Formats: sequence, structure tokens, C-alpha cells
Amino acid sequence: MNLHEFLSIFISAVFIYNVILSRFLGLCPFVAISKETKPAFAMSAAVTFVITASSAVTWVIYRFLLLPFNLAYLRTLSFVLVIAALVQLIEMIIRKVSPALYRAFGIYLTLITTNCAVLGAAVLNIDMFFVKGKPVVGSFYYSLFQGVCMGLGYTLAMLIMSGIRERLEFCKVPRALHNFPIAFIIASVLSLSFMGFNGFKF
Amino acid sequence: MKDKLIVSGSPHIYTRESVSRIMWTVVVSLIPAGIAGVIIFGWDALWITLAAVGAAVSTELIFELAAGKKITVLDGSAVITGILLAFNLPAGVPLWLPVIGAVVSMVVGKLLFGGLGQNIFNPALVGRVFLMASWPKYMTTFTRPFCDTVASATPLAALKEGKVLEHIPYWDLFIGNHGGCIGEVCILALLIGAAILFIKGYISWQIPVTYIVTTGLFMYVFGGNGFFKGDWLFHILSGGLILGAFFMATDYVATPLTAKGQIIFGVGCGVLTAVIRIWGGYPEGVSYAILMMNAATPFIDRYTKNRIYGS
Amino acid sequence: MKSLVKEFTKGIIRENPTFVLVLGLCPTLAVSVSVANGIGMGVAATFVLLGSSMIVSLVKNFIPDKIRIPCFIVVIATFVTITELCLKAYSPVLDRALGIYVPLIVVNCIVLGRAEAFACKNNLASSFFDGLGMGVGFTLALVIISAIREFLGTGQVLGHTLIKRFEPPFVFGMPSGALLVIGLLLGLFNLIKDRKR
Repeated sequence: MNLHEFLSIFISAVFIYNVILSRFLGLCPFVAISKETKPAFAMSAAVTFVITASSAVTWVIYRFLLLPFNLAYLRTLSFVLVIAALVQLIEMIIRKVSPALYRAFGIYLTLITTNCAVLGAAVLNIDMFFVKGKPVVGSFYYSLFQGVCMGLGYTLAMLIMSGIRERLEFCKVPRALHNFPIAFIIASVLSLSFMGFNGFKF
Repeated sequence: MKDKLIVSGSPHIYTRESVSRIMWTVVVSLIPAGIAGVIIFGWDALWITLAAVGAAVSTELIFELAAGKKITVLDGSAVITGILLAFNLPAGVPLWLPVIGAVVSMVVGKLLFGGLGQNIFNPALVGRVFLMASWPKYMTTFTRPFCDTVASATPLAALKEGKVLEHIPYWDLFIGNHGGCIGEVCILALLIGAAILFIKGYISWQIPVTYIVTTGLFMYVFGGNGFFKGDWLFHILSGGLILGAFFMATDYVATPLTAKGQIIFGVGCGVLTAVIRIWGGYPEGVSYAILMMNAATPFIDRYTKNRIYGS
Repeated sequence: MKSLVKEFTKGIIRENPTFVLVLGLCPTLAVSVSVANGIGMGVAATFVLLGSSMIVSLVKNFIPDKIRIPCFIVVIATFVTITELCLKAYSPVLDRALGIYVPLIVVNCIVLGRAEAFACKNNLASSFFDGLGMGVGFTLALVIISAIREFLGTGQVLGHTLIKRFEPPFVFGMPSGALLVIGLLLGLFNLIKDRKR
């Protein structure tokens, strides 16, 4: 486990292989909820939270339940159920602990169950940090950190997008491009700009 | 009452100078760099520039005719986009490259957003990064100055590959006697143009100065072997920094409104440029840095808005 | 019978999941690098869609409303796992090309969306044709987008070079190009829709 690896996971997950702009995970809420900053931020915060929690839980399940019993093929099914259960649990806890926070997150929490980013992160962690059925050294921490970073990358893309789209309200975008098309075109330019970080080497 | 309320993007207050006058003055200020480009790289530089400008203007014309909008090609902004795009290209590219780049610049960078005053990103840079991603071979093949058949690396590219060129004299960097893009190499010509814009009051010092100073500072601290050993003068005079800082990072529409915002913008550009130059895969980061800061501009504006009296 | 045909055709144009409903974009953009991948993903997704729509419509009366989403997910995940295993066994090349987007079919908005919006409220026959139509529509969209991206990005389609001495702009094989293509296509679709009105 070394600092280098963590740094490279950070740069990679946030900028180079940004979960939205490069891996295309979590696109549905990206174009639907990024019109205003407040909801965009709420969604991103919720997503980051859930990705982190699920990265940890799915890793443990894979390592101590699926692998030892040769059930690796049940990965998809078990991960999805875990995520759904996790979201329910988090929802209940937040509702109890801080009703204000619960009101802020609102329906976004439920939507996260079907957010590709969460399941995608869990699957990516396994693909990247397990080799031939054995976890690499520091696998758990790398997975957890990658989950956090993917959440951060998600937040970055959502915030930039919402800032731009709020400003776009004042622009005379051609009618055929309103809403989704122009959002994708903006994302395309953002993706091009982020390419500046390609080949990053610390 | 509702239709008396006009809500639009910035700027809201226009000086007596019309938009076209400002644009055409910018065109004039770019002429010295253009002439230098032709002297240094040959007539190809001229053809490329004309191709880009022609394509940009035609694209805008066709688009506005097809959409039934007011024809604005005479306001000079398409011409500027064409020139700036050409200045960001190596002199050896085939002529279809600037044409495609100009079309992309105009369509994706400006027209699809609603035209003049509505773009989020600097249009010329949108075209440039598109070309860079699409035809990297053409975009990174440079010719030696005064000798258009011999390939040569730019100083920054050589640095990135670890081959430190026999130390290029600063004077050569200043007048552009080295490989590079058409409009970026002759610092002298660019500064003359920038001076014209400053004198006329069309650009303010905040963005260019903070951008250049930040880059220099960062390169001084982190850019050499060990801390505080960087060759800041080399980095300020190399690559597209001067061209970018004075002519592209100063785009009225795609940059913050307030002075404070502009300083943040300049610093952001500087840091990003330096980070990419030092640790990124590309030798030059100016285009990407400016585009990323363009994307952050709505946010910067939000948090640096002038306090309205009474609120 | 006529209504069944209608259920089938609506998924292809009128309610095309990609261009009209704007669902399931994650895999669309990610795998549309080549037509072969596009077809592969389309077929896989259609299989899952068909299977899950049918099962959901069969058991809809036995599932308590409160836990219906998790139940749908279990059904869908089962079919996805079958698909995953089949791909790994019979077409490892395609499996590698599609990567993580195969397991992600489980959270594909199209699949869950049709289960929730249609299959749990309609009979077996309608659900079958609805699923089939949506699957075909999705595959069609994938093929169109991949054809554009493969041609522009590599100069070939399905591995055959169409134009000689064509220097392809690589950007179309990249995420940025994908986003640009879908943005322009969606805009074009809207333009045609507006003109029709």
C-alpha cells in the first residue's frame, strides 16, 4: 500500500476516467437532475455516501462469502440486493437521525438504487483489486478509496454541469437542443477538456 | 409587463464601442503575430489561416441563413475564431484540418449555444482540442522554422520527453525561432498585439497577468529538479501561454464578470497549465486549462457577484 | 392482435427507449464503439428484457406492492447472470468488449422501467411484445450510433473499410465523441419531431 497508488486512484477516478464523463455511469440522473445546483449537489452527496458504503460492504461480501464458497457468479445478483438494502437502511437511519437531511435528499436516495454508478463502482473495485480470485495487498482500502473518489468525480461533473446549465437559461439555445441534447454537447466538451489530464504520472 | 423584462446574459452595459469595432480591433491586434508566423513558417501559415477564417465565416453564414436568424458574420467574431484556431495549429497540417476545426469551433463552440455572447467555452479552443483528439499525428508534427520540410520538436515537447535541448537562448524563444504552432511562437509580435488591446482598453490586466505570473511561479517552485529551481522564464516564453493568456483566456463571454472572479480565473488557468506541463501526458496544457476554467466560470461568477446595494 | 402489434412497434420509433424516452444511456454510449459490440449488447439486453418482462407479468399478482422493486431486481438479476455466464462461455471476446456493462444491464433504466411501467400491469402477451419492441428499438438505436462512431472513428464498419485513404477522426471512438454524437442525434430527432407538428 503506498501513497502513489492512492494518488493515482484519485487522479484516475476524478479526472481521467471520470465516472460520468468517461465511464458513462450515472448518466440518467446526470442529465435529469443537473439543471439546478441545489438538487445536483444533494444527489451527488447522496451518491458519494452510498458508493462509499457499498464499496465497503460489497468488498467484504465478495471476499468472505462469495469467493470461499465458489459463488463468484452470484456477484451481480448479490451486489444489487446489497445496494438496494443499503439504500433502504441509509434512508431509515437518516430519517431517524436528521429529518432535515432526509428532507434535503428527498427522493434522490431511492433513485440511487438504479444508479449505474453505484453498482458500477462495486464491480470495478472487484475487477481492479482482485487478481485471479485473490485480493491484492491493500485491496480493501483501495476499493474504499476508489469508491470515495468516484463519488467525488461524480460531484465534480454534476456541479460543473449544473453551473453551466443554470447559466444556459439565459442563452438562446436553439429549441431542438433544449434540455438533453445541449446537455450532452456540453458534456462532450467537458470530456474533451478533461483529456488534458491523460497520461498523468506522479 | 412581463415582456418588458429582458433577461439576458452578460454583458448588460454596452459602451459606446460597438461589438464589431472591438472584434475587428482584435483582428488587427493579431496581425503582427500572423505576419511573424508567415515569416517564420512560410506561406503555408497564410493558407492555413485563410482556410480557417473562410470556413468559420462560411459556417456562421450558412447556419444563420438556414436558421433564419440575423446575419452577423460582419461583426468579426467568426474571423477572430478562425484566426485563433489557425494560430494554434502547426504549419504543416493539410488544409482540410483547419477547415474541419473551424466548422467544429463555430458549430459546437458557439452556434449551438445561441451565437455571439452565449458561448460557455472559447470556440477556437473547442475546435483545437477536437482536432487534437482526432488527428494527434498531424497536430503534433512541427516543422523547423525557416525550413518547412524538416521536422522538429517544440521546446516543451522535447522537455516532456526528457531530452533537454541544447539550451535554447531566451532571445530565440522571444522572437519565435523554434518549432511550434503558427501564432504562438513569436512572443514579440503577440505582445505588440496585446499592447494594442490594452491601450484601447479592450482587455484588462487581471486575467493575463495573473495567469502568466501563476504559471511562472508554479513552474519556478515545482518545475525543476528539486524545489525552487524551475526555469520560469523558459516556461513563460514557451508553448501557447502568451497567446492563450492575452487572446483566449480574455474572451469576454466565457470568463468571469468581476475583477475578483477574473483573478481566480487567471490563477486557476495558471495552476492547471503548470500541473499538466509538469505531470500530465501532454507537453502543453494551455488549451485544456482555459477550457476547464471556462467550465468553472458560472460557479466563479456565482460566488464573486458584486453585492447589490441594499441586499 | 392489432394491439399486440402496436405494443411491438411503439418500442421501435414512437417510444424508442434511446431517442424518445432517453433511457439506458450508460451502456449505449459506452459500448457503441463498434457495430459488433452494439449488436451484442442489444441482443443481450433484449434477452433480459424479454425474460424479465414475461416473468414479472406472470407473477405480478403474487408480489406484495411494498417489495415489488426488489422482486423485479431479483428477476432481472437472474436473467442478467444467465446472460453473463452464456457470454463468458460462448463468446469471451464479446464479453471482454462489453466489460462491466453486461452486469450493469441489471440497473439499466430500460429493463427496470418496463417492468415497473408496463409488465406489472399487463398480461403476458402484451408484455412479451412490449419487451420485444423495446429491445429491438434499443438495438436499432445502438446500431445507428455505433455505425456512426465506428465509421467516423476508424473508417470501418463491422470491420470493413468503406472509403480508402480516409483519415478517421479518432475522437469519435472516445467518450467525448460519443456524447457529441448522441447530443446531435437527439437534437436532430427533436428537430424532425418539431417540423412534423
